[in-house]
Amino acid sequence: MPPDNAGYMVAAYIVTAVILVGYAVGLWWRAERAIRDE
Amino acid sequence: MSGTAASARAFVRGGTVVTGLALLALAGVYVLALGFTPIEARQGPAQKIFYLHVPAAWSALLAYSLVGLCGGLYLWLNDRRLDRFAAASAEVGVAFGVVMLTTGPIWAKPIWGTWWTWDARLTLTLFLFFLFVGYLALRAALHDPSERARFSAVVGVLGLLLVPFIHLSVYFFRTLHPQPIVLKPSPPSLPPEMLRTLLISVLVFVLLYVGLVTIRYGLALAEEEREGRLDAA
Repeated sequence: MPPDNAGYMVAAYIVTAVILVGYAVGLWWRAERAIRDE
Repeated sequence: MSGTAASARAFVRGGTVVTGLALLALAGVYVLALGFTPIEARQGPAQKIFYLHVPAAWSALLAYSLVGLCGGLYLWLNDRRLDRFAAASAEVGVAFGVVMLTTGPIWAKPIWGTWWTWDARLTLTLFLFFLFVGYLALRAALHDPSERARFSAVVGVLGLLLVPFIHLSVYFFRTLHPQPIVLKPSPPSLPPEMLRTLLISVLVFVLLYVGLVTIRYGLALAEEEREGRLDAA
């Protein structure tokens, strides 16, 4: 019987999504603003 | 619109498309890893953190390596494009580094019984991450473009020298971190379904790296255009 540690797995998947999507959206927003300022 | 401004716009638009596709593919990786990849018997569901932690770590090390490589080439060829790419790769590498350094402890807690241990692999990886945070801080602190490119290229090359040492640290030192199970001379020691999910995730992370670096490169072009205008005014 595998150990019951699914909570850690869920936390890691959520944290990864938040970091990657957050960074991608932030970078896109900075780039769009820089282009608009040109 | 100047040629530089048009190029910046093209890089940002192209990078946005690639990043969007990569994020959709990442959602597919989530489905594949959580729904269609077997649970490892001894570690349980927490082992599935592997499909994010390892691709993030490899992507971060790829990003740092390219910073060093482009830095070295910049010092030789003095081409601004190399410096721009290195800066973009460093920032994206730090983002992947944050994923690596957060998923690692979340995986370590249920398996090792501790969030963190100061062994060689973990400590060196944290040191490399801080080195590239320092790289970005150095770039932000220097205004002169050629001075900024030269100084940061040297830091990037120093970071590159650490990368193979980090990979081999699990052989050199006694460490809690497992030895390589894919990037090693003998065949990968993973069941085929797990290896398939890992390799697909690695491809998606590399695609995400390409998309994010392309946007960041376009942003660097736009910032240079603005700096040029301000200096001319």
